[in-house]
Amino acid sequence: MTAPLFEVRGLTKRFRGLTAVSDVTFRVAPREILGLIGPNGAGKTTIISLISGTLDPTAGEIIFEGRHIERLPAYRRARLGIGRTFQVMKPFPGLSVLENVTVGALFGTGGGERKRKRAEEKAREWLRFTGLERRMDQRADALGGPDRKRLEFAKALAMNPKLLLLDEVMAGLNHVEVDEVVELIKKMRDKGVTILVIEHVMKAIRRLADRLLVLHHGQQIAEGRTDEVLRDPRVVEAYLGKRRQ
Amino acid sequence: MQLFGQILVNGILLGGLYGLMGLGMGLVWGVLKIVNLAHGALIMLGGYALYFLYTKAGVDPFLGLPLAMLAMFVLGYLLQTLLLNLIVRSAQLNTLLLTFGLDVVFVYMAQLLFTADFRTINPPYAGKNISLFGVTVPYAQLGAFGVAVLLAALLYLVLDKTRTGRAIRATAQNLVAARLYGVNPKRIYAITFGTGAALAGAAGGLYGIVSQITPYIGVTLTAKSFVIAILGGLDKPLGVIGGGLVLGIAEAMAALYLDPTYTDIISFGLLVLVLIARPAQLLGRA
Amino acid sequence: MNRFRWLVLPVAAGALAAVPWVTSDTIVQYGINALLVATLAQSWNIIGGFSGYPSFGNSVFYGLGTYGTAIAMAQLHWSFGSGLVFGAVLGVACALLFGIPILRLRGPYFAIATLGLAAVMSAIIATVEIAGKNIGLILPLFRGDTLFYELSLILLVAATATVAWIARSRFGVGLVAIREDEDAAQVMGINTTMYKVAALTVAAFFSALAGGIHAYWITFIDPASAFDPSLNVRMVIMTLFGGPGTVLGPVLGAFVLSAVSEVLASQATGVASLFYGIVIVAAVVFMPKGLLDVVQGFRESRWRYFTDNIRRYRL
Repeated sequence: MTAPLFEVRGLTKRFRGLTAVSDVTFRVAPREILGLIGPNGAGKTTIISLISGTLDPTAGEIIFEGRHIERLPAYRRARLGIGRTFQVMKPFPGLSVLENVTVGALFGTGGGERKRKRAEEKAREWLRFTGLERRMDQRADALGGPDRKRLEFAKALAMNPKLLLLDEVMAGLNHVEVDEVVELIKKMRDKGVTILVIEHVMKAIRRLADRLLVLHHGQQIAEGRTDEVLRDPRVVEAYLGKRRQ
Repeated sequence: MQLFGQILVNGILLGGLYGLMGLGMGLVWGVLKIVNLAHGALIMLGGYALYFLYTKAGVDPFLGLPLAMLAMFVLGYLLQTLLLNLIVRSAQLNTLLLTFGLDVVFVYMAQLLFTADFRTINPPYAGKNISLFGVTVPYAQLGAFGVAVLLAALLYLVLDKTRTGRAIRATAQNLVAARLYGVNPKRIYAITFGTGAALAGAAGGLYGIVSQITPYIGVTLTAKSFVIAILGGLDKPLGVIGGGLVLGIAEAMAALYLDPTYTDIISFGLLVLVLIARPAQLLGRA
Repeated sequence: MNRFRWLVLPVAAGALAAVPWVTSDTIVQYGINALLVATLAQSWNIIGGFSGYPSFGNSVFYGLGTYGTAIAMAQLHWSFGSGLVFGAVLGVACALLFGIPILRLRGPYFAIATLGLAAVMSAIIATVEIAGKNIGLILPLFRGDTLFYELSLILLVAATATVAWIARSRFGVGLVAIREDEDAAQVMGINTTMYKVAALTVAAFFSALAGGIHAYWITFIDPASAFDPSLNVRMVIMTLFGGPGTVLGPVLGAFVLSAVSEVLASQATGVASLFYGIVIVAAVVFMPKGLLDVVQGFRESRWRYFTDNIRRYRL
């Protein structure tokens, strides 16, 4: 394996009395798509929040491009090239769609663009890429569900991330929309972005993920190539409960 | 040591009244997310209500208190229904503004109608006191303290045990969910604000007994109510009484050991320190 | 309209500059007050309007500017210019020192903390010897309202120009992002702490200068007037009335409300404030997004604008 872009060792997060994530260790190679799956409440979003800097780890290390980042504040990690979407979408409500994405272009990897005009141009490109062009001047909080997802995506992409953390971007989408998003994600990988995807939609995970990491009650119970992991009986049990004999 | 004991008792008695002041503000803030800048004015109006009940109708202050509270409840109910409900879903700052406007209106109506003269509610037993362990405890102050604690306990019980109280708490946590459970938000909001006004009115009435009323007492009292409500955790009645006690004792001690001019530094300094030192606990309530 | 937008500021400034030569002394004095309070509103706009951190204690910077200038001129016998600088330094230092811990708080908690800060600072100054304690200080006398008027105007123009720059700059986008969703802003690469402190510091700078000019103008200061708490609510209301987060809104709001207040004050003392309060209440109900939004909204939907607002924001 080439040098990992990104590595997590012994990552642990405890809230008062609740251990959300326990001793998770994995690596992600450049341009790889790693899927993060597990039943609800397994700790997937917590891991993303720990990586992006929204939460501080109780223990463990996070290494990005060879640097320890577990002590860095969120904005520094963003500048290093880590972008994320939120499961409960967080657009900037009073701003237009274009303005939302412009923020990403202005402040992303490497500190983003310095000039607002340049950033706006880039933002427009990303809006075209995600199919939101026609909604450019609408208020972000006026968008419907799927469009909100696209906006969330576009904002993260505008940051030019090296590592993109996607949190359940397929939720609530119909088949056609899921296919579109899968294509989008593949295009991103082709552009050179490394991606960590949390997903419940199995069809999408199967098509996208090179490798899978499975979480259950905060612990990692399986890791490896997608098709192998999906056949692993422990994984099946975690999702469906014990098989009736 | 004697003096210390006396000051401590004074502080506790004052603290009970302070707690009552914080109660109404904390309830409205915690449940409706409305920061009521007119809270002090409502205290003031409650004071005048009780004053006139006593001087014009001869009603004993402690007996007239429920009447004054009822009047203030109605006022609060109407304010919420006719004005505040109209802007509740816009930026929080707008409720700040609206209540500020109301405060201005109330203060100057009071000035116009009641003049700036100092008023005190002086029932015949006001001057008397009892002596406990060498400490002088005036009847009026003791009564005020008792009523304050009683009201706090009542509020706690209402919120905890009654259907309306549960509806109020549900609304505080999640308006949308509460609606789905059949809670009528307009009514609950109006009842909550009315209750806050009633509590403010009670505090005002008691304040009139232990101190003096002018149209302008509201300004400092609003600010103090902020401090007390925050110290107590907003809509937790027992906590707010505790917050009041802390402030009352701190002020009394400051007046004793430092210059009385330091009381403001103490109360606001305490507030700023608490906010800075324990942000995590409070941020979740924002 | 857009093409001529650039002319608005210079033309208005020019017209205002000419005022002392065409009107009476009373109007000039009213003008100085209006210009200074408009500067305060504009400063508040930076931290409250753009960044979404509603400070209720910006009077602390005004007061420090007042006292800095007064101490420099009355006690240390410095020049006005040095006095202003000293006042500004005090204000900025306060913003930097207290900004970091207090800006960690959100919403009403931040508001109360700033209110507390202003109250504490006022009380502390009242105990300081060199500040004249409770009695106050008397500055050297300078006759010449026109000079103070033009100075105040220059300050307002500078503050407004700064806000205009902020509105179009990367810094401004960052502030607005913080206002709209601070967590998302952090995750997108904005150093929210630094941005907020910077916003507060700029606000403190202009507020302190306003205080310094005012001090030299009225010649006598004391803690109550320098740290006047009513200033806080006035600057907040003026900005919200005119339109927070806009460039001209605070100025508009300040001028309109000052004028209303002046006109009514000349009628009868109590009644004036009564109407002031009613105006505020009506404005919040019918124009919750400020005056500038009314102008725009009226163009689109006429009188329905007002009822639409109520319909959108009522419970």
